[in-house]
Parts: sequence; structure tokens; C-alpha cells
Amino acid sequence: MATVDIKLPEIGEGVTEGELVNWLVKEGDAVEEDQAIVEIMTDKATVEIPSHTSGTVKELKFQPGDMIEVDSIIMTLESGASAKPAAESKPEAAKDDVAKEAAAPKPSAPAATSNGGSNGQALAPPVAASNVLATPSTRRLAREMNVDINQMQGSGLAGRVTREDVLASGGGGSGGMESVKPASMEFPRPAFHSNQADLEEREPIRGIRKKIAENMQMYKHIIPHFSLMDEADVTSLVKMRTDLKKEMEKSGIKVTYLPFVMKALIAASRQYPMLNATIDDDAGEIVYKKYFNIGFAADTPNGLVVPVIKNADQKSILEISAEIMQLADKARSGKLSLEEMRGATITITNIGSVGGTAATPIINHPEVAIFGMYKISDKPVLSDGKWRARKMMNLSITADHRLIDGAVAARYMNEVIARLQNPARLMLDLI
Amino acid sequence: MAKEFDTVVIGAGPGGYVCAIRAAQLGQKVAVVEREYLGGVCLNVGCIPSKAMINAANYLYKSQNAFSNMGFQLPGNIEVDHKKLQTWKQGVCDKMSGGVKQLLKGNKVEVVMGEANFVSKNEIKVGSDTLKAKNFVVATGSRPIEIPGFEYDEQTVLSSTGGLAQDKSLKSLLVIGGGYIGLEIGTFMAKLGTKVTVIEAGPSLLSGVVEKDMVQVLQRKLKKLGVNVVLNAKAKSFKKAQMGLSLSVEVNGKEETFDGEKILVTVGRKPNSDQLNLKGVGVAIDERGFVKTDAQMRTNVPNIFAIGDIIGQPMLAHKASHEGIIAAEVIAGHNRVFDAKTIPAVIFTDPEIAYCGMTEEEAKKEFGEVLVSKFPFGANGKAVSMMETDGFVKYIADKKEHVIRGVHICGPQASNLISEAVLAIEMGARLEDVALSIHPHPTLGETMMEAAEATLGHAIHVL
Repeated sequence: MATVDIKLPEIGEGVTEGELVNWLVKEGDAVEEDQAIVEIMTDKATVEIPSHTSGTVKELKFQPGDMIEVDSIIMTLESGASAKPAAESKPEAAKDDVAKEAAAPKPSAPAATSNGGSNGQALAPPVAASNVLATPSTRRLAREMNVDINQMQGSGLAGRVTREDVLASGGGGSGGMESVKPASMEFPRPAFHSNQADLEEREPIRGIRKKIAENMQMYKHIIPHFSLMDEADVTSLVKMRTDLKKEMEKSGIKVTYLPFVMKALIAASRQYPMLNATIDDDAGEIVYKKYFNIGFAADTPNGLVVPVIKNADQKSILEISAEIMQLADKARSGKLSLEEMRGATITITNIGSVGGTAATPIINHPEVAIFGMYKISDKPVLSDGKWRARKMMNLSITADHRLIDGAVAARYMNEVIARLQNPARLMLDLI
Repeated sequence: MAKEFDTVVIGAGPGGYVCAIRAAQLGQKVAVVEREYLGGVCLNVGCIPSKAMINAANYLYKSQNAFSNMGFQLPGNIEVDHKKLQTWKQGVCDKMSGGVKQLLKGNKVEVVMGEANFVSKNEIKVGSDTLKAKNFVVATGSRPIEIPGFEYDEQTVLSSTGGLAQDKSLKSLLVIGGGYIGLEIGTFMAKLGTKVTVIEAGPSLLSGVVEKDMVQVLQRKLKKLGVNVVLNAKAKSFKKAQMGLSLSVEVNGKEETFDGEKILVTVGRKPNSDQLNLKGVGVAIDERGFVKTDAQMRTNVPNIFAIGDIIGQPMLAHKASHEGIIAAEVIAGHNRVFDAKTIPAVIFTDPEIAYCGMTEEEAKKEFGEVLVSKFPFGANGKAVSMMETDGFVKYIADKKEHVIRGVHICGPQASNLISEAVLAIEMGARLEDVALSIHPHPTLGETMMEAAEATLGHAIHVL
């Protein structure tokens, strides 16, 4: 009987670790090749990890709640019938390895000053190679947070990078547009005790809830939020959608109001590009994005997730609708990939479909704004001295006040409202 | 039966044993293989015995040169019992080496005595034993370079090992190589009464590593000790003469001969990378014989790490220990690289020399304008009372931010004083940070504060 180590495979680009949510097998279970064995939560996605081989579970190496680094051995399998040939072929394979390495030393065969590890891990270069000023303990902190301290602008005396600078940088800078890994920020952690403990139930914060908690705390910490509310008379939009409904149902696609709001947002963002931007705090720069990836908040049994419609400006309302259906489906079953939740440039929350007339949502950093749409309701509206029954929708925009002035947000809102009140306006934006 | 380990460290010197202990602290099953002695060259035939000999010689030198000034009258000449001196020195080494043995045992590291050879990248043979491991750390160090015609017999031609083990008084000694090892041994020999001649091929002692102004201080003292320094001199050959040996040397193109009882060859050390069958398992070695590693101490064979002298200059015990800790932590899955800004160097000559960070030249190249200033030990009360006033502390800082970029010390206890400078550089300290830290009086350490003040232009105790 041979023992096979099962390692945590690469889960996504730049993802170095994940949290064990749940084992799908237990010790002694027989496992088939490709059978899901464990649920791992990374960033905001929970993924099922399959076994790459078959056998009997010998040992589970981690507990739910553990953080596991990619490439760690998560369990061992006792492999059955196929064990023998594998064992026999082993020495040869090992010899092969040595020969190969002897014949072809890695091209990057590194000198002591080289940047990376030879095991494929991305490593920031040692500080000895640059003139960055930081204490040894701060340098180590940066390394452990995967921050390249050599690239940082220090806030301290003589440009020194302080511990606070490193902590605020958030870590995980792996080159993507998200450079923030909130888990490493330090917040007070007050305890809770009461004299009614017997009437209370405790459970650990883990999984998506834990991520949500960490993210929200950090976003609220970094961004000075402000919100602006308004309402739009969407009577025409409702009529238009009702008229088109039959047409759309023919193609099997359910069209909601969300894609119309998306289109209105994109048009308004072209006029006010700071709403589709990011603040690169590290570089002290504003990053204006020439692409429009619209996130939409989705309520799932596990909590809030935000799937993203990529390049929504280049898709038709019908295409966007189809994609929304598909992503919302995946979100509800917890099958969203990390990629499908990444890279939003602005987010829409549709909390109104559940209830409420207005809300002050938290901005999904590194975005700088979140747009809220609420329930459409019949309201009497006084116009030209007459009361009329109109379909009204409340709207909100919550923005990063570092970048966006109140007046800008109000003008932006006006542009959105103009299009929702008169959907024909959207025609004018067509490219 | 093969024994299996998580990590096997080959070589129990200051790199290897430290690595083994840290690996064991991190929960690994560890063995260390050693062919000669625990503690390696450093504890047995290098740093530690040489410091014992240097310290002993200093007592003798002081008694002969300082006592009468202080009113101590010696009844006659001091007799040196060289056998007893060697026994005492060996006692110091054995105590340190025994300490390493206890530490390894206490950390449950298995010690395997013998010479290791790689069979595959996961397996070594030590004698008839086979050791298997997931990871190996090669820490087998370096050995003295031999020059043709001067093969070590440790009787007439000595390596540093032989130089530290003389149990009879030597009338005269010819030292080939004016690097730090030759000068350390040459200096204590001179203090023990040997007539020492240093033959250096280059134009300067300690060439290329130590700032010139410090070499000047050193050379003055060597002259006082009666050491004859011959520069630009290439040793050619030697023959037996009536009173020992006759060494023929080409000095500035002309042939000269120097007589001496024995010859000490200290022309550097070379890495032991030709051993262990390292090449056989595919470990890449550079043209100078150093094992190539990345900043995590990993060789091109991912489960084989290397640390210490065998991976490159500077060949210093404290560098090896630091690298050993990094290797052990990387193996345990920690995110580590060699991230130190500076590796201090110390030379136990008289006076001592110690330095860290940049030289004046390097700093100018990097920062353009620099601040440089010295504070002399002659202006320090403690140094005067010790009768050791030769030398100075020198700071180099960039002019714009006053950040300390290099510190060079030549003087009493330079080896102990340099640690403050290392901390300053690692912390990114500015001259003001050191100048404004209160240094206790009366100590040699005050020179560190005063030199920082001097560099800022306002030292109190110097004009």
C-alpha cells in the first residue's frame, strides 16, 4: 500500500492561501479520482477541491477554520491496486529528476542577489539591493504580507517606510488591480461577555462571513464615505420593459431593470470618469479606468457576494441580462469563480428588490462609488398642478469623498436619472 | 536500513549547527553530519582558538609594555610555557564545542559523525549508513588555499590550523599573505616574542576590503611590534637553511631572500564544493567554486540548500549562522530571504578593525555628496586609561538625509563597538539618532556618539 499526499492546488491567480470550510470526506472513506474532497474559501469564493487520484483517506491534516497555504499537504490517501506499479516506477522517476536537473539547471539559476525563490514562489527582492529605509522587523512584516517594500513610498523621517505604512498597504500586491488583503489590518478586537451566556449561542466567524467582516471593516476604515439620495420617475422605463417583455422572453432571457441602470451608469461615468476610478494610495495617484466592469451585489444563503459583468459597455442589454442570470445562479449555489468576482470598476446594489426606500452601502474598495437602486412603487406626483400616478424609483450614490465632491455626485446622479426617466436617451449613448 | 529525516544538515560549523537547531525548533526531524568536530573550523581551528591566543598574547604584551608605566615592577622576564598555553587554548575550544553538542542534543538533533556523499538528491551515504531526507542543507564550508611549492605539512609550512597550534616558542615566522588571518596570527606571534615577516603580494595590507586610513594605523602599530611588512612581494620558493628556512621572494621585480624558522601560508580560503558529490546530483557551482543559491539559500536543486562559506564571500561565521536560520525557516514554509542591509566584518589585529555598510567611495558613488568625519580614541578617557589610544571611529552619511551609510572603526574593542553601528544601519538611523542617544561615560562607546556629532560638525571633545 502506498501513501499519496494530496496538496492544496493553485486556486486562482495570486491566491496563496485559503480557509478550510468543510471536509467532504472523512478518514477511512474511499475516494475516486476527481471526487470533491474539501471546500476551500478564498477571497470571496468557496471552491471544491477534487482529488487527483483515488484511494482511501488515511489522514486529514487540517480542521475547518484553518488557513492553508497553496501547496501544503492537506490529506494523505492510501492508494490501493494501483500502488504497486507506481512504487516500482518511482526510483527511475527520481533518477530522471536528478538527471534532468543536472542537465538543465534552471535558466534563472540564481545568484545570491536574485529576486525570486527557485520554487516558483514570487518573492520581493531583498532590501539590501535598494536604498529603502525600514527597520528589520518592518521589512519582515512586509515580506510576510507579500508587500514589496522596495516599491513603497515611506511616510516616515527621511522617507523611511514605517510599520504603519506597511500595514496600511494591505499586502498581497501580486500585480492585479486589487492590491488589498484586509486580513492583515489591525483593528481593536473587544471581547463580549454577558451575564446571560446560557441564553446565548456562539459560533466561530468563518468562511464568507469572515471575509465580509474583514473587508467591510477595512473599506469603511480607508474610505471617507458620503451618500446622496434622489428619485427617478421610471414610468416610461416600466412601460418600455413591459412592451418588450414578450420579445425578450422569446429568447428565454429574463430582463430586469438592472441592465438599464448599468447602461445609464456607464453613460454617466463617461462624463464623470472619477466615478469609474481608483485611488492608488501607495503611489499617490488616481487611476482612471477606460473599461467598465459593473459589479452587482447578490444575496446568497451564505451571505453577500458581488459578481462582475466585465466590459459591460460592449455588451447589449440582452447579453448583460443573460450574464446576470447565469452569474446570479452560480452565486446562489456558491459556484462563482474568483475571476467572476474580480475587477469591478463600480458596483450596483439592488437591495430595493428586498425592501427599504434608501440605504448607505459600503464602497467595494478599490472602487470609489457604489450605486443603490430601490423598489419601484406607484406614487402620486404633482405636475402642472395635477396629481398623476407615476412609477417612482429611489436611487442612491455613495462615493469616496477623497476623490468625489458632493456636487459631482449630484451631477452624476442627474445624468443617470435623465436616462432612467427617458430611456430613449440611452439610444443617444449607443456606440 | 536507511534513516529518514525531514532535514539533514551537512556540516556542523556555525552555519550548520545553527540551521539544525532552528529546523528542530520548527518541529522538523533533523540530523547533522560532521566529519571532524562540532562547531567546525570556527570553534576548533579558527575564530575561537585565535581569539584565545590573541587575548593571551595581549596580557603578555601589556605586562611587558604597560606595567612599568603604572608602577608595577616585575621580578624578571615572564616565562611562557607554550604547552600550557596550548592546553588552555584547547580547553576554551572544547568548552565551546561541548556546548554545541549539548545544544544539538537538547534540541533532539541527531549527530552523525563521518563524511557525507550524495547518492541522489534525497539520499546521502555517511560511511555505511544511508540517510534519507526531504531537504538537505549543505554547510561544509571552506579550507585554506594551498599554493604550489608550499604544500602544508604543518611542520615547516603551516596553515592557519598549524599557526594556532605551536607548542614551542618560534624565533621567527614568515607569513605569506597579509590578509586578516595572517595578520591576526602574525600579531599574536609577535607579541609572544617571534620575529614576524609578512609577505604580501598586493600594494597594501588587507587590500581591497579595509579603508586606507585604518590600514595606516595598523601598519604603524605593526612596526612598533617589530613586524616587518613587505608589500608587492611574491613568494617563489623556499629551501632548508642552516637556521631553518630560506624563502625566496620577488619584491618589486627583484629577488630577495628572507629567513625564518617556519612559514605560515594564509592566502585565503576556498569553498569545499568539490566534495560531497554535489556535482553528481546536479547542484550548480560557479566558476569560483561557490555553490549557487538564491536569496532563500536554495540551490538549483529545489530540495538542496546551501549556506555559509560554500556559497560565497564574505566567509564569516555570523553570515553563515544568519543564512542557516533563513534556510531552516524557508524549509519550514516561512517567507524568508536574506534581507540584511549589512554584514559587519571584524579583524582582531592590534588595534582591532571593524566595519559595516558602505565605504566612503561607495557612498559617494551612490549619493553624490556625503558627510564623513572621524573621532579619535586619543580623545576618549576610557581609551587613554587603557593605554590604547590608536585609531578612530569614522562615520559616512549621505549629506541630504544624514542617514548613516557606513561606519568604520579602528581601535580598542572595535569588534564590540561595531554592533551599535550595525543596528543603526539596519534601523535606517540618521547621525542625529546616534548623537542624541545618551552614551554612558566613561566608555569606549562614547566614541560612537562623538563621531556622529563630529560628522554633524559639532563634537565636544575634539577641535
